[in-house]
Amino acid sequence: MSLLRYHLRKLFMIFKNEVLVLPSRIVVCIFFILLLIWPLIFEDPYAMRIVILASIFAIFAASWDLLSGFTGQINFGHALFFGVGAYGAAILNRQTGMPPWGSIPLGALIAVLAGLIVGIPCLRLRGTYLALTTLAFPIILASLIMTAPEYTGGEMGMSGLARLAMSRTANYYIVVVTMLVLVTVMWKITDSRMGIIFHAIREDELAVKAAGINTTMYKLIAFSLSGFFAGISGGLYAHFMRIAGPSTLEVSMSFQVVIWCVFGGMVTIWGPVGAVFILFPLLEFLRMWPEWRELMFALIVLIILLYMPGGLLPWVRNKIETECPRCKIRNVAFRSSCRVCAAEMK
Amino acid sequence: MALPFLEVSNLKKGFGGLMATNNVSFNVARDEIIGLIGPNGAGKTTLLRLITGILKPDSGNIKFRGKDITRMKVWDIVNLGIAGTFQNMRPFRRLPIIANVMVSCLSPRALKTGEWVKRIEAKALDALEFAGISDMALEKASTLSQGDLKRLEVARAIATDPELLLLDEPFGGLSPAETDLMAKSIKRLHKGGRFGRLHSEGPAMIIIEHKLQALMKIVDRVIVLNYGEVVAQCSPEEVVKHPAVIECYLGKGEI
Ligand SMILES: Nc1ncnc2c1ncn2[C@@H]1O[C@H](COP(=O)(O)OP(=O)(O)O)[C@@H](O)[C@H]1O
Ligand SMILES: [Mg+2]
Repeated sequence: MSLLRYHLRKLFMIFKNEVLVLPSRIVVCIFFILLLIWPLIFEDPYAMRIVILASIFAIFAASWDLLSGFTGQINFGHALFFGVGAYGAAILNRQTGMPPWGSIPLGALIAVLAGLIVGIPCLRLRGTYLALTTLAFPIILASLIMTAPEYTGGEMGMSGLARLAMSRTANYYIVVVTMLVLVTVMWKITDSRMGIIFHAIREDELAVKAAGINTTMYKLIAFSLSGFFAGISGGLYAHFMRIAGPSTLEVSMSFQVVIWCVFGGMVTIWGPVGAVFILFPLLEFLRMWPEWRELMFALIVLIILLYMPGGLLPWVRNKIETECPRCKIRNVAFRSSCRVCAAEMK
Repeated sequence: MALPFLEVSNLKKGFGGLMATNNVSFNVARDEIIGLIGPNGAGKTTLLRLITGILKPDSGNIKFRGKDITRMKVWDIVNLGIAGTFQNMRPFRRLPIIANVMVSCLSPRALKTGEWVKRIEAKALDALEFAGISDMALEKASTLSQGDLKRLEVARAIATDPELLLLDEPFGGLSPAETDLMAKSIKRLHKGGRFGRLHSEGPAMIIIEHKLQALMKIVDRVIVLNYGEVVAQCSPEEVVKHPAVIECYLGKGEI
């Protein structure tokens, strides 16, 4: 009993000293808690569906940031991984009757394979050339899918996939918890030693080689990791919608993810996730004016990008938090001295 | 009969019609510091880049401890123990200075030889301290002055624990006092006292430098390049009197 009290106390201290000190951390905490209690408060199936889809696309967006934001390997064909994950899960589910908890991870592994197949020829390419080459891959796969309709469903896609779970609430929790876990994992990866190397590869690849790092290997790791996470999101999407169709490979899918990431703030992981949770509901909200929907959406994105070139969320974060000039720890903007080193904040 | 430590033979590298490195051969011993001098455009930087593997030669070969490294990948060469700095510094601008050095500390070689320092942060700080910029460890690299960027280059190179260190104008952008400090640090590093594996000898070095006075104090031997060719190999005392050296410097009207 006293042990339990001790741990609870410790947990509370961590919460007080690590979370409550920074507004951004409080926001993340609220985000987590809100998502987890959402179905207990709101029973509206439409809202729940929007949160589920936003969660799926949040994984997808974060996986693009992991590859293109961090390592700077700009991928304009990210839909490839989403589509391979979706079709992979669909084919496994339909042909072998494998349940979603098996078909989704296996589909994601197929997406990893796709990541390597794309990554290896792309190793020699940089910048615009890489971006334009990657653009082609999902288009190629989509046309391959059309040539084998007996396995892939062709134009119609493969429908009638197994449900994720029997109830709507269970669906919700499976997707949302998966999203929270995977996004945290991605953020942890970027915060690790490997993350430093990813950052450095984006900055100057030759200098990383000259530091004794096998950049080829790390770039392939980035492609594979990104392919895996995007593949999971594709698989979740297929099983949630109960259909895997050619729309998962569309060019608009690839561009959407770029818009989300740039809008939310690249090279952060949390930026793209936040962006999806802002833009996805926004797009639904704009359905009220169907004829103006696309235009208003484009205008909002454009205005944000013009005034906040680093993305919306980093901009907001820099408004409410400042970095200590001495120890580089972040502080609430209104503090006059650093919470760690007590240096004067100006 | 011991194998030569570094053996460069008949190295050739052309850019278009220009021979930047023309039939260069020389050896370096394990305990040497070599000064590599010559007028601008003589091909010094090109020669170092050939050794680090960033450039590949048209012909000739480079052997390190008897192993042919001519066609090896840049990172494999680094992990064998040859590290170099970039003359035109190439920091990771948006990363903190300490992260710049941590990249080197994450190379397989540094991870293997640096076991005595468990935390790579500590090792990175050690390298920064050697270079004299540890007090700015948390600043972004983009905030550094030219001279400090030079020091960052040196810190990144030594963080890979090299046995052969190639420095391209390490005194560039440093004041005379700072040059003096850097020269002393380099000498101390060579003796193996301060940085790197404890109780081991420091790295052999090839140093390109225009500040000849400071350079001559620390080197054991000088190699003079002109138009991509080795025109003289001599001791630092002889270099001012060497006819070929005088000719190549005065011939271009500069020292
Ligand atoms: N990447 C390159 N492409 C074309 N020419 C080059 C390249 N690098 C060096 N050179 C030429 O090779 C010659 C030697 O250059 P370099 O090795 O930088 O000389 P140093 O370092 O001795 O001043 C110069 O004439 C230079 O213009
Ligand atoms: Mg040079």
